[in-house]
Amino acid sequence: MDEIFSQESAIQAMKTRKAEAVDPRTRPAEDSLSSQPFEDLFLEHWGPIYRLLVRMTGDPAEAEDLALETFFRLYRQPPKTGEGTNTGGWLYRVATNLALRSIRSAKHRQYYEMSAGKGALEDAPESRPAQILESREDHRMTRLALAKMNPHRAQMLVLRYSGMTYKEIARTLDLSPTSVGPLLLRAEREFEKVYLALTEEEK
Amino acid sequence: MNKHLNDGQLRAALDQELDEAGMNHLEICPTCRKRQTQIKAEMQQTARGLSFLGSPAGQPSPEAKSALVRLYQQNDSRKEISMFKKLFASTTLRVGLAIIVILAVVFSFPQARAFAGQFLNLFRVQQVVVVPVDFTGIQMLTGNDTLGKQVSDLIASSVTTRQDPGAPVTASDAAQASQLTGFTVRVPQGMTPSRFSVENAAAFTFKVDVAKVQALLDESGRSDLMLPTSINGADVSVNIPASVSVAYGTCPDPAAPDTGIGLNSGGSAGRRYPDCVILAEIPTPIVSAPADLNIAQLAQIGLEFTGMTSDQAAAFTQAVDWTSTLVIPLPRNVATYAQVTVDGVTGTLIQRPADDAPQYVLLWVKNGIIYAISSLGTDSQQAIQMANSLP
Repeated sequence: MDEIFSQESAIQAMKTRKAEAVDPRTRPAEDSLSSQPFEDLFLEHWGPIYRLLVRMTGDPAEAEDLALETFFRLYRQPPKTGEGTNTGGWLYRVATNLALRSIRSAKHRQYYEMSAGKGALEDAPESRPAQILESREDHRMTRLALAKMNPHRAQMLVLRYSGMTYKEIARTLDLSPTSVGPLLLRAEREFEKVYLALTEEEK
Repeated sequence: MNKHLNDGQLRAALDQELDEAGMNHLEICPTCRKRQTQIKAEMQQTARGLSFLGSPAGQPSPEAKSALVRLYQQNDSRKEISMFKKLFASTTLRVGLAIIVILAVVFSFPQARAFAGQFLNLFRVQQVVVVPVDFTGIQMLTGNDTLGKQVSDLIASSVTTRQDPGAPVTASDAAQASQLTGFTVRVPQGMTPSRFSVENAAAFTFKVDVAKVQALLDESGRSDLMLPTSINGADVSVNIPASVSVAYGTCPDPAAPDTGIGLNSGGSAGRRYPDCVILAEIPTPIVSAPADLNIAQLAQIGLEFTGMTSDQAAAFTQAVDWTSTLVIPLPRNVATYAQVTVDGVTGTLIQRPADDAPQYVLLWVKNGIIYAISSLGTDSQQAIQMANSLP
């Protein structure tokens, strides 16, 4: 209870400080924010966005940084509101973009090299080290393939395979629901091509 | 439904996401079912590879309220200098900009407009298409003069001039202008020009730097758009042939800065040059870009930046031949446009109906030459008559 109280106080204090400190020229105008207050959006989407990022990056610490960055962007520069504005969809698009960029980065490639090798073996149960290693290697290659392909199509695959319905994908990516099937198929074909090319490169 | 389902519909059916009519057809159509089996086999390996994205995260997410506290703390500790400004402050980083972002930006910043003449002619132009846009991305930038200047600097520093056109040269008549430009300059019959100005040929190259363009997108609030890394470092070379502008009435001096007539000119220019009409003629510029530079993909991102939905941008992108079409993104609230028949071809008339500063531009392409008639007035019929009187 005390902890909750102290968190509430901390948030309140930060908000007050923010209101005082942020230059009014750079502070997002009230009318440019989603009709939902920022904190409601944060509390509603934090968990799903974080979990998506963990799956995308395979690195909880990186996922947390990226999730914070996603919401920071919403906080600093929220999307313009208008008819049909979908702030939740915007958050998913930004989060997946940040994750794909992170996977592309040299630092993260290094992380994948390490996690797919020694670290994976250490964590593996004695009975199935080979399978664990193979699975990690598959995940690493999948992530690299996603980062290498057309960003729009990579987003489509991430959203679909993380469990979104076509309707949800359409809303998130600003598409008509009937175009999701054809675009998804195109994305899967590209993924297959890129994945195979990466496999060849690594041989 | 008698028509067979396409691959996309069959893919949707695999996820039980096809509409009822489609599902009913699939049930009774062996051809579609056979094709669907092939598609299923084709995507099986992909589905297996990506399946981990749907698995539980393995550990609970950090508590939301604690995360919110950290976000506010980060906000406090972040320096005032944004990522965007930091990038510009770095002397080691060369800047670059994707073609379509330039197209969008040139309409919004006075400092960047000087480049518009060059960048809008990036392709071997055979036709002109206007696309009405909302400019939501640009809205984040407008009103911010500092940022506007930085965008201009970004454009300027990504361009290497290979051939400087120098100052415009005055020609005595159409014959001399033709000699200087190397093509037959056409002038309307029955009208006396007040001046012929010839702009010499120019050539420049710009290099695409994905990190910088992405920073621009981020700073303009469009972190939801992402550029493909494949375009990074692409060199796009542009050769612009010599051109001529023929003035009628009292017109601003083309050699003087900030006196051009176009959709961006202000009301005072209209009051100073009420009878000025300018006819510009330029052979289509030639662009050479790496064969694997996907212009359509860039264009789609640019169109989304200007406020189109993904669907709209994709549909538009697919409908346009980017190697031969000059696409003009036109803000909805700024001007209107219409297709008109002039000089035996289809042209585009763009009009700004503002009370204090009405303007129009009539554009068309014929035999490899781009023609534009512009004026700070409302009498666009005059432009159409001029175009139709060209020999």
